[in-house]
Amino acid sequence: MNSQSQIEQFVSQPYKYGFVTDIETEKIPKGLEEEVVQLISSKKNEPEFLLDFRLKAYRHWLKIKEPNWAELSHPPIDYQDIVYYAAPKQKAKKDSLDEVDPKLLETFDKLGIPLSEQKRLSNVAVDAVFDSVSIATTYKEKLAEHGVVFCSISEAVKEYPELIKLYLGSVVPINDNYFAALNSAVFSDGSFVFIPRGVECPMELSSYFRINSGDTGQFERTLIIAEEGSSVSYLEGCTAPMFDTNTLHAAVVELVALDDASIKYSTVQNWYAGNEDGVGGIYNFVTKRGQCRGARSKISWSQVETGSAITWKYPSCILQGEDSVGEFYSVALTNNYQQADTGTKMIHIGPRTRSTIVSKGISAGHSSNSYRGLVQMGPKAFDAKNYSQCDSMLIGDQAAANTYPYMRSQQPDASIEHEASTCRISEDQLFYLQSRGIDFEEAISMIVSGFCRDVFSQLPMEFAAEADKLLALKLEGSVG
Amino acid sequence: MTCPDAPVLIEICDLHARVDDQPILNGVNLSIRAGEIHALMGRNGSGKSTLSKVLAGHPAYTVTKGSVSYCGQDLLTLQPDQRSRLGVFLGFQYPVEIPGVSNLEFLRVSTNARRIEQGKEELDTFAFEDFVRARLNLVQMDPVFLDRSVNEGFSGGEKKRNEILQMALLEPLVAILDETDSGLDIDALRIVSAGVNQLTNAENAILLITHYQRLLDLIKPDYVHVMAAGRIVRSGDKALALELERNGYEWVDRELDTLEMT
Amino acid sequence: MVEAPIKHCSALNSWCDMLLDRLEPPSGPMAALQSISRNQLEALPAPDRSQEDWRFCDLAPVAEIEPQQICSLSKPTAPVIANQVTRVVIGTDQDPLAGVALPDGLTLLNEAELQQALGPNSNLAIAKGQWPLELNQAIAPRVIGLRVSGSVEKTLELVCDASTNRGVIAARLLLILEEQAKLELLQVQLSAGANLTSVVVGVHLHKKAQLRHGLLALGHPEAALLTHLAIAQEPTSEVSHISVCQGWGVMRHEPQLNQLDGGAHTELRALQLVHSNQLADTHSRVRFNGPEGALDQLHKAVAAGNGRSVFNGVVQVPREAQRTNAAQLSRSLLLSDRARIDTKPELEIVADDVKCAHGATVSQLQQDALFYLQSRGIAPPQAAQLLLRAFCDEVICMLPSAAQAWQPLARFLDGA
Repeated sequence: MNSQSQIEQFVSQPYKYGFVTDIETEKIPKGLEEEVVQLISSKKNEPEFLLDFRLKAYRHWLKIKEPNWAELSHPPIDYQDIVYYAAPKQKAKKDSLDEVDPKLLETFDKLGIPLSEQKRLSNVAVDAVFDSVSIATTYKEKLAEHGVVFCSISEAVKEYPELIKLYLGSVVPINDNYFAALNSAVFSDGSFVFIPRGVECPMELSSYFRINSGDTGQFERTLIIAEEGSSVSYLEGCTAPMFDTNTLHAAVVELVALDDASIKYSTVQNWYAGNEDGVGGIYNFVTKRGQCRGARSKISWSQVETGSAITWKYPSCILQGEDSVGEFYSVALTNNYQQADTGTKMIHIGPRTRSTIVSKGISAGHSSNSYRGLVQMGPKAFDAKNYSQCDSMLIGDQAAANTYPYMRSQQPDASIEHEASTCRISEDQLFYLQSRGIDFEEAISMIVSGFCRDVFSQLPMEFAAEADKLLALKLEGSVG
Repeated sequence: MTCPDAPVLIEICDLHARVDDQPILNGVNLSIRAGEIHALMGRNGSGKSTLSKVLAGHPAYTVTKGSVSYCGQDLLTLQPDQRSRLGVFLGFQYPVEIPGVSNLEFLRVSTNARRIEQGKEELDTFAFEDFVRARLNLVQMDPVFLDRSVNEGFSGGEKKRNEILQMALLEPLVAILDETDSGLDIDALRIVSAGVNQLTNAENAILLITHYQRLLDLIKPDYVHVMAAGRIVRSGDKALALELERNGYEWVDRELDTLEMT
Repeated sequence: MVEAPIKHCSALNSWCDMLLDRLEPPSGPMAALQSISRNQLEALPAPDRSQEDWRFCDLAPVAEIEPQQICSLSKPTAPVIANQVTRVVIGTDQDPLAGVALPDGLTLLNEAELQQALGPNSNLAIAKGQWPLELNQAIAPRVIGLRVSGSVEKTLELVCDASTNRGVIAARLLLILEEQAKLELLQVQLSAGANLTSVVVGVHLHKKAQLRHGLLALGHPEAALLTHLAIAQEPTSEVSHISVCQGWGVMRHEPQLNQLDGGAHTELRALQLVHSNQLADTHSRVRFNGPEGALDQLHKAVAAGNGRSVFNGVVQVPREAQRTNAAQLSRSLLLSDRARIDTKPELEIVADDVKCAHGATVSQLQQDALFYLQSRGIAPPQAAQLLLRAFCDEVICMLPSAAQAWQPLARFLDGA
C-alpha cells in the first residue's frame, strides 16, 4: 500500500460541531445601510460617541474596496444579503445563569464549554457569545475582587464608557482596512478585559464564540487593556454549524499593553470549513493587532487555525515601547478546498524591541495555505531583533504552500533573520514508528504534532492538549 | 543456547521480494528457534537489509512469492505496527530522525502498544519514566537523550544505543539487528553488544546482520549464514564467519556459479 | 508603513511618449517588432509604485533622462583583450560583429532563424505587456543572435559603455545553446552620465548545455539600467548566472528562469550595492515546469548612504515539479540609518516531495567578527572594510575569470 495516498485519505474528518441549536432568535432584516447601523446602536442603547464611531466607520467603508492582494478566490460577497444583528430571545443579560435559556447552556455543554456553576472549569473564566450577543460570563465576581474587569463589550460600553472611548479604535483605526471598517460600523458584541496596574490576572480568561444562524454575519469586537505591570492570558475558541452557504465573520481584536504589562492571546479557531467539495463554511476575515505601548511590555499571539473556508488574518504587534517584545506562534491546517492566508506583522518602532515568529502550515487536499508576514525595522529601532521560522508540511500533490515573508529595515543596528523549510511526512518516518508498534493514525498524529510542537508548547496548558486533540481529530478519517 | 526441541519462532520459506521492479530476494529459506542467535553475512547488495525490511513490513518492498510464518501465524499479512506489537523487532541500520516528537513520549507509546498486546498493564508517564531509566544503564545512555526529539541530532552511536534501548523496552521474541555495529567505535560496540547479550534468553532469538567478525566476537552466533544474490548460499557455525574473514567472499561467486548451473 | 505619495508616474508616461515621438521610423531587420512594441508602449502605463511588481522600485529618475535614443557610442576604454577572450562592443554605429573573429563553436543565426526565434511561439520572444521589455524592443536597432555548438573555449565578452552620452540605448542578445554546448559569457555594462541602458538577453539551452553568465554592471549616479534575462532550460542543462551591480542611480535586474521540463540545474549569485540616493532592485523568478530540477540562489545586498536595495525572489514549484531541490538565501547588509532594505522571498509550492528552503538575514556587519579583528589590532574602519570586502568577494570571485581584467572588486568597492 502506498503510504502517501493513505496519508491523504486520512486527513479528512467529519466536523463535530455542525449542529444547529433550535432557539427563537430576534433578527433584524438583511442588508446594510445607515439606518441599520443606527438600529444596532439603538438596540444596544449606546451613547452618542459610539454611534458617531459606527457612522464614521460606515461612511468610510462605503468609500473603499474589498482587498484583493491575498489572491483568495471566492464569489463576490453580497453585503446586502447578510443579517447584521441576531440575538437569542431572552431577557436582558442576567448575572445569574439560572435565567439563561437552558437550550443555550446545553449548546455550550455540547461544545465542551460548560457554563453552569457545578460543571464549569475551575481555573478559566468564560464569556460565551452566541450569534451577536454575549449570553454569560463566569467568575465575574471573583475577578472583580482583584479589580479585573471581564465582561461583554456591550456591558463595558455602559459601565466603563471612558475606557471604551479612550481605547476603542486606538489600535485598529476605523479606516484601517475594509473588514475593520465594516466591523467598526456593525459590531454587535465581544469581550472586554481590563487588568489594572500591577495585577496578575488570577485565572485564564476565555471567550467562546458560536455562530448559530446561517445568514447572520458575526462581527465581534474584543478589547484588552493591560495596565502597567499587569499580566493576563486570554483564550478564544469558535465553532459554527454546517450550512451550505458561506457566513461572514469579520472580527476586530485590539490589545494594549502599557509599561511592563504582558498579554498572551491564544486562539483555537475551528469554524465550519465547508464540505469536502468546498461548499459552505465561514469566511474568517479578522483584524487582530496588539500595541506594546509601554516599555518592556509583551504581547504574544498563539493560534491554531483549523477551520473556516477562508482565513484572512494577521495578528500583529506594534512594538512601540522600548525593550518591548512581540511573539507570534501559529499552526494553520487546511484541507479540501480551504484557503488560509495568515501570518503576522511585527512593526519595530522602539529601541531594543524583539520579536519571534514561528509559523507551521500544513496543507492537504486541494487547499491553499499561505504564510504572509511583515517584519519592519523603523529608523529608531536600535538593536532590535527579529527571528522568524516558517515551515510548511505538504500532504498530497494538490495542495499549495506559499510563503511570502516581507522584510524591511531602515536601522543598521537591527537584525532580521528568517528561515523557512518545506517537508512532508516521509515514508521512512511512518515506517519507523509503525515498526515500533504505533498504528498508522497515531503515527501520523505524532509526526504532525511533533511538527507543531514549537507552537503547541506556547499554548496555555489546558489548551495545548485541546489543540493537539483538535489536530488529531482534523486528521482523523477513513484509513484506506 | 540451541535446543532442538525449542519452538520455531520464525520460518522463512522460498521468500521472493522486489522493490519497484527490481527483484532483490530470490528464494530465502531460514528457520529460527527460540534461544538461537543467527548471524547473516554477505556482500553489500546481497539482500540482507532487504530481508530485514521485508520481515518488518516496509511498504516499499513487495513479496512476490514464498511465506513467512511467525509463531505459527502468517507474518506477511500483518501491518508493521502489528508485527512490532507481536514481538518482531527491527533494529535499523539508519534510524530516522523525527523532529518535534519527544523521544520519551515515543518510547512510552511504543512500549505500551506492546504491553497491551502482551496483556500487561499500561505504564503511565511516571511509571514509564522509572521503567525506562532502569534500562538506560543497559546501553549506558545519558538520560538527556530522552528529552530530545526522536533521533534528532543524535550521533551514529547514540542512535544505535537508542535502538537497543527500544529492544530492551519492547522485549521482542525475534530481534533483527541490521548492521548495529556500523558507525560504532570500539567502546560503543562493546556497550551495545553487552546490552544485546543481556537481553538474550531461552525464549527469544536474534538475527544479526553484519559485515564484521568483531561483532561476532562479542555476540556469539550459533549459526552463520551467507547471503548472495538474494539467497542464503551457505550456512554453518561460527567457523564459517572466521573463514569469511580470512578468505573474503570470492568463493561465494564460485558457489553461485555452481548454483546457476544446477 | 505609509509610502511616500506616488509621484512622477505620469512624468514617466510623458517621457516615454516624447521618446517615441523622437525615434526614427522603424527600420532594419527589427522594423516589424519595433512598431509592434511602439504601439504597445503608447497604451501601456509606465511602471509606478501602485503596481505590486514596482512597489519598492521608483523609476521616476528615468524621466529626468533626455528622451532620445543614443544612436552611436564611442569605443569604450576597456582593458587589453586577453588571449582567451573574444570581445564584442555593442552600441557603436558599427555592426558589433564586424571585424570580430567569432571563436570556434559560435555562429551567427541567419535572418530566418532569427525571425523564428523572435516569433510569437518562441521561448525567446519577449513577454507581452511588460514595459521594460517593450521599451527595449521599441528601440533596439538589431538583435545579436548566436548559436553555440560544442564547447566554446574562449569567453565571449560583451561590452556596452553608455559613457557620458545623454539619452537611451537598447541592446538585445539571443543565444541558442545546442545539445552539449558550453559557453562562458561576460556582459559588462558601464555608464558615466545621465543615460538609460536597456538590455534584454534571451537564452535557450538544449539538453546538457552549459552557460556561465556574468553580468558586471558599474554605473553612475545619474544613470539607469534595466536588464532582463529570460532563460529557458531543457532538462540536464546547467546555468550559472552571476550579477554584480553597483553605482547606478536606478537599477532593475530581472533574471527569469524557466526549467521547461525540470531536471535542470540553476545557480544564481547576485550582489548589489547602493549608496547616496541610489536604488537597486533585483526581481528574480525561477519556475520549475517538471520534476527533479535544482536551484541554488544567493542574493547579497549592501545598502549605505541613502541607498535603497530591493530583492524580490519568486520560486514556483507546481505540482508536476516533484523532487525539486531549491534553496534561496538572501543576505543584506544595512550600513547606514538612512538606507533601506526591502526583501521579499516568494515561495509557491504545490508538489509535496520537494526540498525547498529559504533564508534571509538583514543586519549590520557581524559585531563579533569586527571585535575579533579589532582584538588583533585592526582599526574599526579597516576591519569593517575587510569584512565588507569578504562579503562582496564571495559573489565577485564567481564571475567568469575574464572579469578580472576589469578589476571588479576594486571598482566595486570604490562605491562603498
